[in-house]
This record gives sequence, C-alpha cells and structure tokens, in this order.
Amino acid sequence: MSDGQIVISGLTKQYRTVRAVDDLSFTVEPGRVTGFLGPNGAGKTTTLRMLLNLVTPTSGTATISGRRYADLPHPIRHVGAVLEASSAHRGRTGRNHLRVIAAAAGLPRRRVDEVLELVGLTPAANRKFKGYSLGMKQRLGIATAMLGDPKVLILDEPANGLDPEGIRWMRNFLKTLAAEGRTVLVSSHLLSEMQQLADDVVIIAAGKLVRQGPIDAVVESMTDASQVRVQTPHADKLATALADHGAVVRTEAGGALVVTGVDAPTVGAAALQAGVELHHLSTERPDLEQVFLELTAGKATIR
Amino acid sequence: MTTTTLPSPAQRLSPFRLINSELLKLRSTTTWWWFAGGTLLWTAISLAFNIWFASMAFDDPAAFGDPEGTGVADPLYHGGNVYTSGQFLGLMFVMLLGIVIVTSEYFHQTVTVTYLTTPHRTKVILNKLITAVLLGALFGVITTGISIAFGSLFFSGQEAGTMLGEWSVQRAILLNLVAFVVWAILGVAIGTLITSQLAATITAAVLYLVGTQVASLLFLLLANWLNNDTILEWQVIVPSIASQVMTLGGDGLPGTPAWWVGALILLGYAAVAGVTGVLITRRRDIS
Repeated sequence: MSDGQIVISGLTKQYRTVRAVDDLSFTVEPGRVTGFLGPNGAGKTTTLRMLLNLVTPTSGTATISGRRYADLPHPIRHVGAVLEASSAHRGRTGRNHLRVIAAAAGLPRRRVDEVLELVGLTPAANRKFKGYSLGMKQRLGIATAMLGDPKVLILDEPANGLDPEGIRWMRNFLKTLAAEGRTVLVSSHLLSEMQQLADDVVIIAAGKLVRQGPIDAVVESMTDASQVRVQTPHADKLATALADHGAVVRTEAGGALVVTGVDAPTVGAAALQAGVELHHLSTERPDLEQVFLELTAGKATIR
Repeated sequence: MTTTTLPSPAQRLSPFRLINSELLKLRSTTTWWWFAGGTLLWTAISLAFNIWFASMAFDDPAAFGDPEGTGVADPLYHGGNVYTSGQFLGLMFVMLLGIVIVTSEYFHQTVTVTYLTTPHRTKVILNKLITAVLLGALFGVITTGISIAFGSLFFSGQEAGTMLGEWSVQRAILLNLVAFVVWAILGVAIGTLITSQLAATITAAVLYLVGTQVASLLFLLLANWLNNDTILEWQVIVPSIASQVMTLGGDGLPGTPAWWVGALILLGYAAVAGVTGVLITRRRDIS
C-alpha cells in the first residue's frame, strides 16, 4: 500500500430510495492529478464525503494510505480537503477562520500566514468572510486544505464559480502539487477543464464506475467512435466506393461526408481508386466531452 | 513554497487544543457579545429591582403582610434574592450560547472542516460541553460579582448587614453558579438534538419563557381537578421549575420539593439530552 494512495473498494451508499453510490471501486495514485468526473447527481460528492468520514457508507471501504480517514493519526497533516466554498462563519475573518482550525489541529499560528500567502489571500486576511468573492472563498478553502501541508489533496468542484484567471491559477497550483509527489483528486463536471488538468480520470454515472485510467487511454479506448470527415465534389461516387469497404457514411448539411468504420488512409485509398478528387480529409478524435457524454448517456441525472 | 517545520504527525498534541479552538471560534465572532450584553443588562435591571424591593420590605414589613419580618421581609430571603440577581434571563442566555456553540457550525457549514480536523465527533462535542461549562461559569461569576458588589453595598447600610457569612445566602450564591453551568450544558445538548439554529434557539427560548407559566398553570388545574395538592410538587419535572426549586435552596416547603431534587432533575435532563445528542451526532451524515 503506497503512501498517499486512495483506494475505494465496493463503496455503496443507499439512501432511503436512492442508491447514490453503487459498489464503486477505483484507486487514485500519488504524483498525479486525478479527475473525478460525472454528471451532476452521479454520486461524486457522496463518494468524497464517505472517503472523509463525513458520511457513513452502507457497505464497502475507502482508505487513504491504507487507513480509514478517522484512523489517520493526525488527519489534516495527511489529507487536505476542499468540499464547499461557503464553509466559514460569515462574521469571521479569513485569518481567524484559519486560526480556529490551526488551533484545533495543534499547528503553529505562523502557518496561517504562510497558507494565506500561498493562495494570495494576504491582503484580504483581516476582512470578514461575508465580504469575500466566490474566488476568494475558493482560495480560503484551499488555504484551509493546505494548513497541514498534506500529502493528499481532495477537492470537490473547485472550479465552480471561478473566473478564467482563477481557473488558470487553480490549474497551475494543483499541477504543481502533483509534481511534488502529492495525490490530487479533483471532482468536476467541467470536462474541458479536466482535459487540461488531469493525468488520470475516473468517470462515474448513476453511482457506478464507468471508466478509469490515464486520460489519453480513456479517450483512446473510444477510438471506435472516431470518424473521418471528407469533402469532395463527387460525394455520391465516394459514398458508394466507401460502402464497398464496409464504412458507414452520413452526409452533413454542408455536403461533407462523415465516415465511420474505416480510418482515414482507407478513405484516401478508396477515393484514389474511384478517381474521386478530395478537398478535405481529416480524422476527428472525440474529445473528452464527447466520450463523457457517450459513456454517461442514458443514465438519468435526476434519480 | 515556504513551509514552517510542522509538528510531525506522530507528535503528541496538547489536550487543550480543541477548547482553545472553541474559545477562538467564539472570540472571533460577535454573537457572544450579544448574549453577554443581554445578561449584563438584565442583571442591572433585576439588581436594581431586587434592591428596591428589599428596601421597601425592610422599611414597611406590614405593607407586605409580614409585620414579624419572617417571610417576605426576612433579610436572608432578600440576601439570596439580591445576590443572585440576573438569574432568570442569564440562564436563558447561557443556554442560548450553548445552543449556538453547536448550531452555528451547521448554520455556517463549518461543521465539515471541524470534523475533518477532528474526525472523532464525541471528542468534538465533549470539548464543546467543556467550553460551555467554562462560559456558563464565567457568566455566573460575573453576574454574581456585580450583584455582590452592589448588593453588599446596600445591605451594609441596613440593620441586617451583608449576610455574606450566612450559609443560606452562601448556598443561594453557589447554587446560582451551578445553575449557570447546568443551563449551558443543557444548551449544548439541545443544539446537538436540534441542529437548525433558528429552530433550536426559538424553541428553547419560548419553552423557557412561556413554558414555565403554561406548565405551572397545567399543574395547578390538575391539582384542583384531582383535589390533590401533592401534584403541585411534580411541577419540578419541568426544567425551568426544577432550576427555580434548586436555586431557592429550600428544604421542601409544602408544594416545593427539596433543592437537591431540582438539582438532580436538571442534571438528569442535561445528561440524557447530552448523551442522546452525542449518539445522534456520531451517526449523522454531514452532507
């Protein structure tokens, strides 16, 4: 059991009528950013809360470095978590919010100023939480998580409500932490963001695991769905030739053909054989958004 | 990034760190000032009234139907009354403070980070209880200090003197302090049972302010209906009446049980509510 590894095993949460998480198993490795993806209501938050001992699982286990969260000897020295942005007393200053946690964790007070500096919140440290923008609240959440200089970072939808500048900052920050050898698990329904951030992805839908692996491999595994776009003045002739190769051809509104079932070289060869002139030939890799939609399609988000 | 050398995870931590954290939570917000201000204001008002009442009774016992000075004009009765000024609303304010110590965590969603820092919830609630005890004692000591300062000034000019050496007066003062502590504990227990801040504070305040009168009335009607006056003694099962019985320090006049019955009942409520609250808190999902 390597240090910093997260292992979810057979995790299930049954609420009265809803099975929010259903026999879920996956692992998260240190030194990488792992995106935890799923549509809203897929069970991401419930899974993270079970991992952090806030919600009791119906069955199954969730461990960090081989231990349940509650059994970690000094939990916030090992794991930092950002679960919701609006989790500080409205009338308390950012600095005091951190001091309260530092006191409870037995951490020195100067550590509070360090994490404020780290997230760039020093100028607003003595302002009350109710005056914070959403971006500042997220930064305070990250400062809270970083107090114990943890080996493992767990963030639930950290990009929610951030402006593009904030998102870029967050992305760089998390990548740096992973590069330092820490485990970074980030949940999101913003797939485009994950494509720029994550090394691995875990995709769930309706409480069940859909796919897990390095982000490239997961996209690669969907290459069956890759398609070739081709443009020619002799569309009918090419379509007939391609049909002989077992391809499925669809004509788009602009006259372009979208071909599935064969790769681009086959299309090119078929065109040459048929003596058809080509104006455009390209392979379209599905992006994560498409993969994701296909993987989770049909699994209702409202259950 | 600059990192202070943090204590190693294996290092033993101060056993007082959670109390420090709880006290810091209170100090870093303004809520407790409102309760402290309310308690001080009420202490001032009731102190003034109690002193005025004592001076009227001493001046003209007959006007109070007590020409011998053994009942309403008894100096010892007024000693206990004046030195425990502010008790009625003071107890309510410490109870509310005890409630808020728990419910504000749910109201502001800080309970998540509190339990992430200390995943052992029983420990968190126990430290909140200790914090509430400290605060209850502090409120009690301050109101009592004010009452004794001004009260003894008044009594020293009277025939009876300050009476601070009298056991029945000392007992009233001590039991008043006990009441402040027990009501603070009750507050924490109520907060763990009803985590909604508004529901918990309003329910508790209404029951405290109105419930006492309603319960007294019900017991009176019941006693009349059954033609049995011992039923009135059973009023002591109502927490606020138990508290009054306890702090009056009586040995059990007709219609009132002995002071320790009230004390035991009040502690019983605190224990049952506290244990129930801890058990519920341990199992509750935080989502």
